[in-house]
Amino acid sequence: VTEPQTDDGAARFHVQVGGRGRAVGVSEVPVSSDRTDQFRRIGRTIVREPFQRRTWSELAFFVISGLVAVIGIAFTAVTMVGGIFLVPILVGLLLIAASLRGTRGIGAWHRALAQHFLDERIPDPDPFRPRPGFIGWLRAALSDPAAWRALAYTFVKIPVLIFGVWFALTVWIQTAICLLYPFTGAGGGIRGIGPLRNGFVMGHITPGPPGPVEPAVVFLYGVVLLFIAPWAMRLVLWPDRLLMRLLLGPDTMTARVRTLEQSRAQTVDASAATLRRIERNLHDGTQAELVAIAMRLGQVKEKLADEAHLDLEQIRRLVEDAHQGAKEAIVELRDLARGIHPPALDTGLESALATLTARAAVPSELSVAIESRPTPAIEAIAYFCVAELLANVAQHARASRASVSCVQHGPWLRIVVRDDGRGGAVVNRLGSSSSGLAGLTDRVRAVDGHLSIASPPGGPTSITVDLPYQV
Amino acid sequence: MISAVPKERAADAIRVVVSEDSAILRDGLVQLLSDRGFCITGAVSDAAALERSVEGEVPDVAVIDIRMPPTFTDEGLRAALELRKAHPDVGILLFSQYVETRYAADLLAGGAAGIGYLLKDRVADVSDFVEALVRVASGGTALDPEVVTQLMGASRRTGSLSTLSPREREVLSLMAEGRSNAAIAATLVISEGAVEKHVANIFSKLDLPASPADHRRVLAVLRYLEG
Repeated sequence: VTEPQTDDGAARFHVQVGGRGRAVGVSEVPVSSDRTDQFRRIGRTIVREPFQRRTWSELAFFVISGLVAVIGIAFTAVTMVGGIFLVPILVGLLLIAASLRGTRGIGAWHRALAQHFLDERIPDPDPFRPRPGFIGWLRAALSDPAAWRALAYTFVKIPVLIFGVWFALTVWIQTAICLLYPFTGAGGGIRGIGPLRNGFVMGHITPGPPGPVEPAVVFLYGVVLLFIAPWAMRLVLWPDRLLMRLLLGPDTMTARVRTLEQSRAQTVDASAATLRRIERNLHDGTQAELVAIAMRLGQVKEKLADEAHLDLEQIRRLVEDAHQGAKEAIVELRDLARGIHPPALDTGLESALATLTARAAVPSELSVAIESRPTPAIEAIAYFCVAELLANVAQHARASRASVSCVQHGPWLRIVVRDDGRGGAVVNRLGSSSSGLAGLTDRVRAVDGHLSIASPPGGPTSITVDLPYQV
Repeated sequence: MISAVPKERAADAIRVVVSEDSAILRDGLVQLLSDRGFCITGAVSDAAALERSVEGEVPDVAVIDIRMPPTFTDEGLRAALELRKAHPDVGILLFSQYVETRYAADLLAGGAAGIGYLLKDRVADVSDFVEALVRVASGGTALDPEVVTQLMGASRRTGSLSTLSPREREVLSLMAEGRSNAAIAATLVISEGAVEKHVANIFSKLDLPASPADHRRVLAVLRYLEG
């Protein structure tokens, strides 16, 4: 009789289902064998469920969160009612504010319990941000949306809790009573718990005539209940999970604002980094070059002033250095200006990309199929992506050919840069070798785009960038 | 400006270490200073190398770029403060693309003797630059006019400078740059006697006891500027 409770029982049950399945499977096609597998899986799940950790975790969650909810309801009721009565004197508002702060705290407990027992990760709502001063605190506390939603949860939890006690907790209690019945005996006091006897599966245990039959029947009933109880509990927890997600997490607006804040921060960081890079280039490159030129010309000027000892050879060398420096400074400035905004983009992406591929160190083909022009920001990002990727090809890929395609797919612009090089390109955020790809990924992500890399060792490499047409 | 320092004097004795991360400028400086007869004890590109070079051979003066690797912020300034602690006698000429009032204040907090702070542009006027370097090497002061203007601006908020006449303010600026009365007189095209009168007025207006020694004069001015 006790078999189903042991692993033996589980195994035998499983074998039975399997055996029947095999019998069907001999004569029929794999479709039904699939179905057999399905039956087998369901059977296995049902048999194992009472012995799974999550079953007991859920029971523990129900009991503990129930107690927390009862404490929460009592706390909220007392402080709220007290507060409302005391509103005429200002203390009431203070009490309500304190009550809301407490309710928010209780919400945090529920979140922690859900995380611990149910593995239900509910993100924290926005933190409480009081404005300075007492009035600021009071206003923030009274208008804290997370606290009001936690309050709503506290009260919606009441019917869920009552339903759960009736629908699920009683089943567990009855299971325990029935399984213990043979040992506590007909005279055992447990069976006297009046209202709990009326759970949804439980009729009424009427003590029968003394003898071995009645305890055995009750025990068997307990075994049946053991396999039902986990599912009853799961059913009860389902709306609770839903409510917690809805009322204890950040509301959808807040969540949306948060993702926007994140991407805005990324964009701001990226543009600050760009400005810093430009400043660094100017400082270390052009500016230093110009100072060196001025220094040399200053020397020349003084040497020319000293007419008695003219060393023309030395002067010529200084002027040559200054001349060379001036030409280098011009090239650097031009590259820098092009890095800020490529003039070729003014006439459109296609001609800008044509210039890029024509200038690329590795022979590159270009194919463009776009019907309309994307926004300038997207054009610029597309341009810099191609420039960076072609530079990577030249630097790392050891390729003999490269190709760039730029195609419009509805609201998306898809850019693919391929090369026949040695492959192995990765986004490396620490190393210097391909840190350019990390920068590109950030840049593309800032406008909700995607960058994907297909670069097996040995090549070929194909890097795809998808950018939205409109930011 | 006219070269006040004869090449012969600058030439022999003065040993210089150059700490500058831009290779173009470093080479240019080394070439320029060698040409002027300075003895280059080291040309390095970061603070650690500067320290090693100074430990190897203590120079008379160090030309230090403020922005150097690895963070390109104020490595040079920190290296200068360290150097001052380890070798108080070594003159320090900070060399920068920008003027930061805070840097100047940090640097001058320990006194103005043997301290210089110049914009890099100043090397274009080779003689002025060399003159400033010699001054710093021999314990004097050389502050960029830009630095002085900023320090003046920073202290103008305190209000006491408003008691000075425009001419006196001009004289004060030149004093703060580390110039002697004779040099000030030449710059402003007035007589030395007039300069002395202005200086005396400045000291009395700012309630500072006058002193004939050049660098003590600058110290007094700077103490006022910092306040």
